[in-house]
Amino acid sequence: MGVRVNEEWFSICGGCEVTILDIGEPLLDILAKIDIVHMPVLMDHKLFGQTGEKTEMEVPEADVGLISGGIRNEENRTLAKEMRKKCKTLIALGSCACSGGIPALANLSTTQEVLEKVYRGSKSTDTNGIPNQQIPPLTDRVYALSEVVPVDMKLPGCPTTPEMVAGALTALLEGKPYPLPSKSVCDECPTIREKKATGTLKRRLEAAEFTPGAPLTEMRCLMEQGILCDGPATRSGCGGSAGTPRCIRAYMPCEGCFGPLSDTANPMVDMMGALSSIGLDPKQIPDRSATFNRFAGAGRLRPAPRR
Amino acid sequence: MAETFEPLIIALCCNWCSYAGADLAGVSRSQYPPSIRVIRVMCSGMVHPNLVIDAFTQGADGVLMCGCHPGDCHYQEGNLKAEKRAEAIRLMLPDFGLEEERFRLEWVSAAEGARFAQVVREFTEQVQKLGASPYRTT
Repeated sequence: MGVRVNEEWFSICGGCEVTILDIGEPLLDILAKIDIVHMPVLMDHKLFGQTGEKTEMEVPEADVGLISGGIRNEENRTLAKEMRKKCKTLIALGSCACSGGIPALANLSTTQEVLEKVYRGSKSTDTNGIPNQQIPPLTDRVYALSEVVPVDMKLPGCPTTPEMVAGALTALLEGKPYPLPSKSVCDECPTIREKKATGTLKRRLEAAEFTPGAPLTEMRCLMEQGILCDGPATRSGCGGSAGTPRCIRAYMPCEGCFGPLSDTANPMVDMMGALSSIGLDPKQIPDRSATFNRFAGAGRLRPAPRR
Repeated sequence: MAETFEPLIIALCCNWCSYAGADLAGVSRSQYPPSIRVIRVMCSGMVHPNLVIDAFTQGADGVLMCGCHPGDCHYQEGNLKAEKRAEAIRLMLPDFGLEEERFRLEWVSAAEGARFAQVVREFTEQVQKLGASPYRTT
């Protein structure tokens, strides 16, 4: 029998599960060594027993647990604890599990404000009561997995990369550690940097200047071109063995999906410092907290203080 | 509590002008409140906003950043960079629930010992009016 694997998804779009499939041919080698015993997206294994006979949510015992998504409601929280209890190694899969991801942008508002906006305040829908029957209550904010249970391994990214998932699973099967890169995206970026902006900050939809087909080593740093690029405050690794960051390869700025360089880093302060020191105007950044904490809202974003 | 509130202010002084200025204030026996803790940095331009925000979130009531006068920078334009960053810091302070007035950027040359003492006196008074930082634990 192979290594038993549990997979569970919480507050997430499902993109990180697709990434597992996206591993491609190496997945065949991995699948031969593992036994997936619980994975809601893939198989019909029910939490309260197949006929609903149990009173508590239960997942099978497993060697490895993969969890994607942050904690948004009490069901997520209970299941996270259950997964931790039943799995020897717990892996946070994707930025939502690692640092809250996109859903954690909701942390800029209180849960009550979110519910009001969605169920009562929306202009285009009929207002009705806020649903509270037969559904788990929302938590007070979106939590990263590691804020609720101890996590053994984090695989950031939105979605995370197939190479990373395959690498981590292979390392785990071989009993080796799988450390994350500690450098920033800028450290792996091949573009030309002169530490001076060429102009002012551009609007979000304005394209970068580059010669199509020319190598990236001939393109000017996007930030210096006035395009907001989260590279300075984002962990590298998205490029995998190819090195060059994923978005930069497509002549697009880094969105920051790999999250900050450390758990204690504050990407907003890092980015405001980075862009002001090359001569861009920090006042022009719309909604700086959300812009620079786009994938790292859990524990970092909170409702603005009332004055 | 009859005694007045004694603020804790971190002063980041550049090696070439302001630190020497602070030194001169000392050797000339200029009087100023004992509220500041001077940290010498090579240039005001190397003070990353992170350092300032960290000082605040770890309980400083105020942060004073001192550099050479514009045009006098030992590294040509380090202080101009500091000015840009100071702007970003002022923008961000409300995000952390702090008043902009808790941060100040001043130009102090090596010959301006008296001015350094004056700046510290003024700034201490300003921070005293604002009261203790919400991050302060003691």
